[in-house]
Parts: sequence; C-alpha cells; structure tokens
Amino acid sequence: MKNKTKAFKHLEKWEGTLANCIRCGYCFEHCPLFKYTGWESDAPRAKIITAFGLLSGEMGPSESAAHKLFSCFYCKRCEAACSSGVKLTEVFTDAKKDLIEMGFNGPGTTSTTQMNCARCLICLGACPHEARSHEKGRGIVVDPVKCKGCGICIEVCPAGAAKIQNSFGTNRKDLMERASLFMTTHTSAKAIVFACNWSYYPDLQASALPDAETRDKSYEILVNMCGGRLERQLLMAPFIHNAWGVMVAVCPDEKCEHNGNLRAKERVEDLRNTLKSIRIDPERLQLVQIPAGDKTKFQAEIDTFVDRLNVLGPIR
Amino acid sequence: MKTIDEERLRAIVGEANIKTDPSDLYIYGSDSSVHHAMPWAVVRPKTTAQVQAVLRYANEALIPVIARGGGSGMCGQTVPVMGGIILDMKGMNKILEINLADVYCRVEPGVVDDDLNLALKPHGMFFPPTPASSRIATIGGEIANNASGVRSVKYGATRDAVLGMKVVLPNGDLVNLGARTRVEASGYQLHKLMVGSEGTLGIVVEATLSFVPIPEFRCMGIANFNTLKDAGDAISSIMASGAIPSMLELVDDVAIKAVNKTMNLGLKEVAAALIFEADGMVREAVDYEINKMKVICQKHNGEDIYASYDPKERDKIFLGRKSLFPALSKYDDNLASTSLADDMAVPYSKMAEMAGKIHEIADKYNIVMTAYGHCGSGCMHTKILMDTKRKDQWESARKAITEVYDYVRSVNGTTSAEHGIGLSKAESFKIEKADSLHLLSLIKKAVDPNNILNPGKLSQAPEDWVTATNLRYSVNS
Ligand SMILES: Cc1cc2nc3c(=O)[nH]c(=O)nc-3n(C[C@H](O)[C@H](O)[C@H](O)COP(=O)(O)OP(=O)(O)OC[C@H]3O[C@@H](n4cnc5c(N)ncnc54)[C@H](O)[C@@H]3O)c2cc1C
Ligand code: SF4
Ligand code: SF4
Repeated sequence: MKNKTKAFKHLEKWEGTLANCIRCGYCFEHCPLFKYTGWESDAPRAKIITAFGLLSGEMGPSESAAHKLFSCFYCKRCEAACSSGVKLTEVFTDAKKDLIEMGFNGPGTTSTTQMNCARCLICLGACPHEARSHEKGRGIVVDPVKCKGCGICIEVCPAGAAKIQNSFGTNRKDLMERASLFMTTHTSAKAIVFACNWSYYPDLQASALPDAETRDKSYEILVNMCGGRLERQLLMAPFIHNAWGVMVAVCPDEKCEHNGNLRAKERVEDLRNTLKSIRIDPERLQLVQIPAGDKTKFQAEIDTFVDRLNVLGPIR
Repeated sequence: MKTIDEERLRAIVGEANIKTDPSDLYIYGSDSSVHHAMPWAVVRPKTTAQVQAVLRYANEALIPVIARGGGSGMCGQTVPVMGGIILDMKGMNKILEINLADVYCRVEPGVVDDDLNLALKPHGMFFPPTPASSRIATIGGEIANNASGVRSVKYGATRDAVLGMKVVLPNGDLVNLGARTRVEASGYQLHKLMVGSEGTLGIVVEATLSFVPIPEFRCMGIANFNTLKDAGDAISSIMASGAIPSMLELVDDVAIKAVNKTMNLGLKEVAAALIFEADGMVREAVDYEINKMKVICQKHNGEDIYASYDPKERDKIFLGRKSLFPALSKYDDNLASTSLADDMAVPYSKMAEMAGKIHEIADKYNIVMTAYGHCGSGCMHTKILMDTKRKDQWESARKAITEVYDYVRSVNGTTSAEHGIGLSKAESFKIEKADSLHLLSLIKKAVDPNNILNPGKLSQAPEDWVTATNLRYSVNS
C-alpha cells in the first residue's frame, strides 16, 4: 500500500477530505472544462483523484498533473453539486501552492501576460482578486494562486496582452464563432443567450438532442465564464448575423465572486443606448439575473424574451 | 504490460481522442468503488465503425478493452485489473430519435440518463429506471449494470425498458439484438443477456428504449416506527396487499441520526421510517393507493403518518432520505463512507431482519453501518463508515461483509440488487451462483474466446476484493 509524500505540505491537510470524497462524480456534469473537452480527466473529480495521487505518492508530480490542478475557473459549480461537501477549489488552491514551490506553474486557465503589454496597468485595477502586480524589470506578474481565471483582465486590456492560454471555449473568438455557427445554420434562429457558468442553464449537459428536435430551435445558450468578460464586440456579433436579440444572464447582485455582474450591467446599459441611437429597439438586448441553480426561472426568462422578440420581429 | 500500438489507435479515433499520459491514465483507473488499477490507454470512439476497429485490433493483439460510461460504478466494474484500453463511451452521446408514435427512443450509449429525461419531458414522457446517479450515469452503463432506482418498485429496472440494441462483439462484428416492438418472442432474448453483462460480452453502441408518460399526480407519505420489525412488517404487508407504490423507502435509526448530526434536520429519532409514494393520472386512484398504505402502516404501529401532494411538502418528506448520502460522508472527518456490500436484495418478509442483522454485525466488528433502501423492490443499501487508513478496519470490513452476504444468501436473497458485481462482490456472487458459473463461463468463452472484454470481472474476479487491486485509499501498513 502507499507511502505519503511529505513534499505536499499545503495539500496534506486535505488527506481526510480526499478519502471522504466518495468519487461519485456528481461534480462533473456542469464543469465547463469537462463540458468543453468531454474528457473525464478534465473534470473536478479527476483533479481530486490527481491531488490524492500526488499526496499519496502514487503519482509523481509532473507537468500534466500540475496542468490539471491549475486548470479551473473557480466557478465552484462542482462544490455546489458535491454529494459530500468537498471544498474542491480550496483543495486545488493548496495543491497549486505546493506545485509552485516545486517549480511547476500554470498555465492552466490562469491569465498570463504577453510581450506586447503597454504597462498601462489597467488590468491591475480591474482584477477582482488582486492577482496582478507590477514588478520592476519583470512587468506585469500574475500570481497563479490568487488568479481565479474569471478573465476580466483580458477584456479590459487595450493591447490584447492579457491572455488565457487554455480558455476551454470561453474566449471571445470561440464564442463569436459559435454564435455565428448557430445563427447561420438554423433558419429558425432568433437569439443568442450568453450565460455565465453559474446559471445552471436548462439545456442538456453532456448529451446531444436528435437533429429533428434542434432544427427549429430559436435560441442558443453560450456559456462564457463571467458576465464581467462580455464586451461590446462579442455582444454585438450576433446582430451582425441577423439575430433578433441577445440576452445576458448573470448572477444576482452581491452574488458574483468577481463583481462581473456589475460590469455586465454597465456594459449592457451602455450598449442599449447605442442601439437606441441607431434606432434599434433596446429591448433586443436584455440582462437577467438568475439565482444559482434556478433553471426554471432561467427558462422562463428565455421564453419571455423570445416571445417579446416574436412581437418585435427581425431587425430591418 | 503489453505494448500498445498507439499509432494504430490514433489512426482509428484521431489524435484528439486518445490519452496515454500517465496522469490521465491514473485518473481513468478509478471509478466510484474502492479499487484502482492503471489502464494502458484511454480511447474515445465517436462512431460504431471506430468501436469495431478498436475491438478488431485489441482482439488481434490480445489487449483487454474496458468500456466506460460515467465511471459511477460502485464495485470496480471499469477498473482495469488486467490493464488494457479504456473505451470512453461518453464520446457517443447523441439521442438519435424520439419516436412518439411507436413509443421508443434510440440513443447512443454515452447519453446521460438525466439528459434523456430532459429531452423526453417536453413530450410528457420519462425513462423510468433512473438510478440516484442519473446525473452522470450513461445509458450504456445502466444497461451493462441493469441499473434501477427509487421508482423501480413500480416501473421496473433498466432491463424492463430495453427493447433492443446494437452491439459490437469482441471480434468487431456488429449485431442487432432485440426489436423495436413492445413484445418479441423471436428466439433467445440476447439483448437481455447484454443487460447486466458489465461490459464482458460486447460493447453497446446503440439502444432502443421504451418510455412512459409522466404521471399527473404524485403523493408522498411518511410513517415512523419504534421497532425495525414493525417497519419491516409494514413493507411486506404493503407489497402483499397488491398496493402499487411508486416508491417505498426505508431509513434506519443510524441513518436518521447521521442526517440529524450533520444537517441538523431535527428528524424524530425513531427506529425506522418508511417513505411511500403513489402516482397516476387520476387523483382518486392515487388517493386509493396512498390510503391503503397509510392504513397498513397504522396497523403495524406506524406513527406520525402523513402524506401530501404538494411538491414542497414532498421535498420536505424526502429531505431526510435525500440528505443521507452527504450525511454519511460528513458523519465524521476520520470515517470515510465506502461502497461495500451496499445493495443486496432480500425477500420482503426478511427486510426488517436484514436491517437488524446489519446493525448486529456492525456492532460486532466495531464499524458503523446503516441500513436504508428501496425496500419496495427488495433492495437494501448499506454504507460502511470506517477509518480507511487503518488496516485493521479493512480486516473488520472484510469479515463483516462476508457475514452480511452469508445471511443474504441464507434467506434466498441476492448479492446485488442494482450496483452490479464487478470486483467488490465477486466472492459472494460466486458462491450464490455456484451452479451456473460454468454456464456463464461457457457463454463468455463462446462470445469472447480471447477474453479481451473487461477480463477479471464477475466470475473471473479474484475472490479477495481487498487485495484484488490497489485500494484507492492510503492504508497504513
Ligand atoms: C452516488 C451513486 C449513486 C448510485 N445510485 C445508484 C442507484 O440508485 N441505482 C443503481 O442501479 N446504481 C446506482 N449507482 C451505480 C451506478 O451509477 C450505476 O450502476 C450506473 O448504471 C453506472 O453507469 P455509468 O455510465 O457510470 O457506468 P460505468 O461505471 O462507467 O460502467 C459500468 C459498467 O458498464 C459497462 N459499460 C459502460 N458502457 C458500456 C457500453 N456502452 N457497452 C457495454 N458496457 C458498458 C462498463 O464496462 C462497466 O462494467 C450509483 C452510483 C453512485 C456513485
Ligand atoms: S470550480 Fe468550476 S471550473 Fe473549477 S473544477 Fe469546479 S466546476 Fe470546474
Ligand atoms: S461530487 Fe464531491 S464526493 Fe463526488 S466525486 Fe466530486 S468531489 Fe468527490
């Protein structure tokens, strides 16, 4: 049987938790990483198994093991779903601390700063987790333990220097492509709904519907990581592809870990004014706040929005 | 370990659908059981043709192949005891057809149970076997394990909802089994042979399933009992009376105390509680069933009997049962809730005695065991809470489990009601099925002469489950 390694001094306190996790897998259906890649080894349970493997010495520390523990958006959907009260993200954070001390580092989902940084320091102020600092001679430095991967820095960076290396389908380019794909392949398409991963969207999680059932779909839900990341270009993109409307779903006030909902509110308000100025009914861009887990409310909001769009008709 | 022709596998499924990194392999070496073993590669086929090609290669090269759905099996069914290729079937996740006129649906094996139900709901239909793990369990895994759940007392297990399927055999041949009709008497029911085969006979690549209408009315009730015997007698009388519950669940005092301790629910700490439910399209019919069950509970000294149609009230009644799982995990930081001897079935009349026996054995070996389950279908669950670091606790668990199964068989019960055999329950399974094991191995040999599909499971599993694989816990020596 196994020998525990002493090198994981932060992770060590979770030894009991790692045994108490019953490995039921209830944590993985909603994880955006798993949903994107479909690999179980990207799911939260896999990270717990990795942490156990590292702590027990069954698995040696390696780039790929570190990569698994560094890849997480800290949306905490897994914790809400856990059957056994495991504080998954706290385990990941401690594992990250140990791995960093051993010389492993990201990139995971955490942001990194590239060469073309203009040193404007906007991202420092925008980061809700104080993960960014400016160091003389090194420029902008990201603390991978503090960074929670919300990606707000990426959207505020005017030079395109802040990046998430592994975005698991949540970066602007991917989302724009998926919005365009839905709008152009469905004659019935009317709306794009951007939802943060907290929204427990009412769609199927890990399976696909028969083609006959999706042919007449009027809206597509696209999961971004945080409402705070939704910027102008992305929100307007569906309109270019003849969308009748765009909906943004974020957490209720005070409920967002990154205060991204407040940013989203400002952005949407601002864009509604823009729409008005070009004589497009601002009703076509809606923001709704959905309490975590309330799929029914979310579906009702979408249905109301689509009904409203049906009254408004296409944009002429 | 044999060398695997990774290039050949890559050519079959594509670069994006194969994993060979040790950390990925380590992860895919576990499921929800106590076991762990390393596979040699993980391959994710997207089409039937790819499954066929992988099996042709593996059959030629004599490499084990283990199908994997959600990896929520509780007895090590997907743990690769002899290494080999894990076939991650979650890549085949399409619902192919919902045919309302002919009342069936066709799905790929990686479709998740909850997703199928979400897709059926707008049509007023549901797929009833629904295990508690329905949020991650796949149809392939449910078929291979003959999964069932709280409503199986009325609607049956997976076996009852499978009309037909397409299966890839170990030599790569594709066969169509069963039919798309409600009844079929055209020879051997080979599709039913696949049900419960735990991935040892063929890889299910498509299933044709029946579904039923979602009932208009649901009413749930609860009754408390001061002795386990009274609760057990009530279960037996309800089932014998011809009542048709859509759920009949028992929770014992250890379970109630665990829920109170960890969740502060303030449930009355009685010897046992029964939760019963009836459903239907006509309210009077549901009333009739509920009243029948209430009267029987009363007759057997049930107390605080109460039932409601209100969804909020129903949630409240079910909360204790629903909270049981997390409550057991959180029971004590030093005790892990392990899936061992966790789903035997006994005749209704033995339900109470079985629960009593579990308590007696737990006391004897100084471990915590609770008794609860889908008593309406004869299924009794237990969890063993133990300090998994202590070797002596594993020894105690081993002895306790042997005694539990000895009792189960002595009253004509069966080793597994719903979670399957895999590795953890092989010992009792082999004793229970001693006279048919030879037949079983003849079937296995005929279908899989090279023994490549999930070898080392069921009748081939090592007798001693503790040493069958590495345990997935750190155990002090
Ligand atoms: C918390 C929890 C609660 C549970 N509750 C219940 C319950 O109420 N009722 C119940 O019955 N079970 C329950 N289970 C056990 C388990 O979830 C079920 O048996 C489920 O059916 C397994 O499905 P899976 O997709 O996870 O299969 P896996 O665990 O991935 O595989 C199980 C078996 O199926 C085989 N298999 C998978 N896909 C295929 C395929 N396409 N072709 C051939 N063989 C295949 C595998 O080789 C393996 O032998 C529970 C498990 C957990 C963790
Ligand atoms: S916090 Fe979110 S991203 Fe991270 S593992 Fe959990 S579900 Fe996945
Ligand atoms: S839901 Fe919780 S107990 Fe289950 S596998 Fe995930 S972390 Fe472990």
